Amino acid sequence: MLRLAADSGRVDVLVVGGGIAGLQAALDLADQGLKVLICEQQASIGGHMIELSKVFPTLDCASCITTPKMSAAAHHPNIEILTSTVVDGIEPLHAGHRVRVTRRPTYVNNDKCIGCRLCEYACDTECVDPFDASLGATRAIAVPFTNAIPQKAVLNPDACGTCGTCARVCPTGAIEFDQQPETLEIEAGAVVLASGFALNAMTVKPQYNAARSRNIISALTMERLLAPHGPYGRVLRPSDGKIPGSIAFVQCAGSRDASIGVPYCSRVCCMYAIKQAMLLSGALPIADITIYFMDIRAFGKGYESFYQNAKAMGINFVRGKVARIVPAEDGDLLLHVERTEEGIGAIEPVRHDLVVLAQGMIPEWHAEACTPVHPGPDGFVAASSLTSPTATSVPGIFVAGAAAGPKDIVDTIAEAGAAAMQVTRWLRQEQQRPVEALV
Amino acid sequence: MIRDVDPALMQKIRRYGKGGRLQVESCFQCGNCTAVCPLAQDSAGFPRRVIRMAQVGMERELLASEDLWRCYACGECTATCPRAADPAEFMAAARSYAISRYDFTGLASLASRSVLGNLLVFAGLSLFFALLLLSRATPSSAHLPFFDFVPGEWVHAIGVALFVVVGLSMVAGLASMILRFLSERRREGVPLRAGALPAAMASAILEALSHQRFRQCNAEEPAPAAQPWYLRPWVVHLSVMGGFLAMLLATTLDYLLKPIGSPVPPWYPMRVLGAAGGLICLYGLAIMLFRAEPEDEAHWRKRTFAEWFFPVLLAVTVLTGLSAEILVYLPMTPAGHAVFIVHVVLAMDLVAMLPLTRFAHVLYRPLALALFAWRHAPERQAAAAEA
Repeated sequence: MLRLAADSGRVDVLVVGGGIAGLQAALDLADQGLKVLICEQQASIGGHMIELSKVFPTLDCASCITTPKMSAAAHHPNIEILTSTVVDGIEPLHAGHRVRVTRRPTYVNNDKCIGCRLCEYACDTECVDPFDASLGATRAIAVPFTNAIPQKAVLNPDACGTCGTCARVCPTGAIEFDQQPETLEIEAGAVVLASGFALNAMTVKPQYNAARSRNIISALTMERLLAPHGPYGRVLRPSDGKIPGSIAFVQCAGSRDASIGVPYCSRVCCMYAIKQAMLLSGALPIADITIYFMDIRAFGKGYESFYQNAKAMGINFVRGKVARIVPAEDGDLLLHVERTEEGIGAIEPVRHDLVVLAQGMIPEWHAEACTPVHPGPDGFVAASSLTSPTATSVPGIFVAGAAAGPKDIVDTIAEAGAAAMQVTRWLRQEQQRPVEALV
Repeated sequence: MIRDVDPALMQKIRRYGKGGRLQVESCFQCGNCTAVCPLAQDSAGFPRRVIRMAQVGMERELLASEDLWRCYACGECTATCPRAADPAEFMAAARSYAISRYDFTGLASLASRSVLGNLLVFAGLSLFFALLLLSRATPSSAHLPFFDFVPGEWVHAIGVALFVVVGLSMVAGLASMILRFLSERRREGVPLRAGALPAAMASAILEALSHQRFRQCNAEEPAPAAQPWYLRPWVVHLSVMGGFLAMLLATTLDYLLKPIGSPVPPWYPMRVLGAAGGLICLYGLAIMLFRAEPEDEAHWRKRTFAEWFFPVLLAVTVLTGLSAEILVYLPMTPAGHAVFIVHVVLAMDLVAMLPLTRFAHVLYRPLALALFAWRHAPERQAAAAEA
């Protein structure tokens, strides 16, 4: 692996974010001979995609697609990866950009750690596992997840009791309880923003009472329940471990809703709900599965037939926005919804025992706070024009994937490749620019 | 089935709400408003279906819809509307539109479409009543009791004439609503039995007096920010309505039982009833007008002119009336005469504007509730039998 950042402080391209967008852009750039640095805020690259069970509309295993990309980036001679690293600021220079980054302490020296996990096995302090949507448990010092890259242990200072067991069992002496944040300044010819998305809070609509029931779950939690190596290894509802017999998907639970300030469509929820419904009907063959939707937006290649297949499989599609979710005594949930396609009548609350909310996609990182790029009205990084979707308002800073707006994996990968193309073109133009123009 | 549609219906209704800035055409029929409304659970008849009628121009169905009046405008639909389409304000605008269409004079349309029209009708009526009263006034009579300054018989004659005119026009309006309801239900083939009518009317009167349904507004989980009982919308509305009815009763009994202008002591029962009603009514009006709305709701709870015109008119009428109650025990002055004149003119305005403004809901709403109960009587009986 390269050591550009620490040794020379200069890279050709700095990629903010090591999810599928950042990895694809980095690989496309590095394959052309450019030196690339990926800054990832988590302890492992892979982004949201490595959390997923399967991908639509092919039902391919998400890990099986993401892990090779992660591995290829990690072993690429032209790519360096800094994990647990946040970008504090990007400042345009005459040629290129000065990027300030902070490496957060993991209390483990990555140069010494060999990923043997002896510390993890020895640690007797257990804590919730954020990778498994806080449903499973992990140790206070652990490799983030099975297929994490890099395979380096990370110590959770909130859970750790500093008993010192890990330091005693570590064969390479990699545990450093006194590690401090470290700030680096890196000069990059160009920057690609691939900082991805976050989901808005489950409690953003108080009428859904998500704070009052553990059986109202996020779609990403459902991904973990469906993943073969998920927290329970099967689909159980969190409150009491019951096998759910009736599952509801509440679409547009955090987007396309002006009352919570997210009027735009998150673009992936219809499709992943259909995908999860299909996977659930495999995992729980006798369960009733209902998707409450306003419109099904199945616009990509093969998406509409995926939707029609789901209908043919017996998944219920009910048109109507769920207005209220009321927890019942036994952990079940009562959904208030008008069945707008089924004529007039009383509104009987519908009982389900597990509810999945399709939260809205919002920007993970607000680049405008520390870089000169402009956000669009939706808060995501704005493209400079319709014909240059990967260029931002600042020359030399490009954007790819969900950092530019809600996007599915297929579009994200295509856009990352496009961003890589624009970066090489821009760097070549810069090199050919007459010297006096720079002064 | 062939239906007549009016493609301009939405444009017409828009003029009755929010000064024409109503954005209800952005509604995409998701049904959130109906599902979130505690009052719509039994029929799913509003707000979405009424919005749909307006969007596609089904004017006949809209004007025959008793569901229009089953909404108490708590605003929860607007607070949660994904499209910021403001269903609550739309329902209010559609009711104003219906009032204008039930009214045959065209004055209601003038009074509720714009602030200017409202003020014009108000000023015209005030001027008319003031001139009418003063035409029989005794000049330079500063120290005369009021009913000697303007003859009591004359005041009463105008009042009776006004009640007859307004009464007839309200009867016409109510008849218009009933006829539209009957013809539409016949088209739909809804069976209506005359035998179920008394029970339906009784249920509507019970609701008007008890506000049983109104209490359900905003009562669903999650519980709204704790509100003391005396600030809850239904209590506030009940105090305005109850106070108003008490004053109306006191005035009517006074007129029927007491010789005009005869002096009575302050503890005379009608006087006590009127004063108590006035104070209760004022309390409700004060809360209605001055209650600070929760900050997160401020963006949609901007009061429109039509919303505060009637409470302000009523409040000024009550205030001048209460002042007059006190003034009769003091030596009469020209200022006292002015207060009396203003009070009588405003009270007459209030009655005259009954069929023309949102105030008309006092008669249309109970009727609509009775019609709703009548229409759904068979289902209710079946449900009761089953239980």
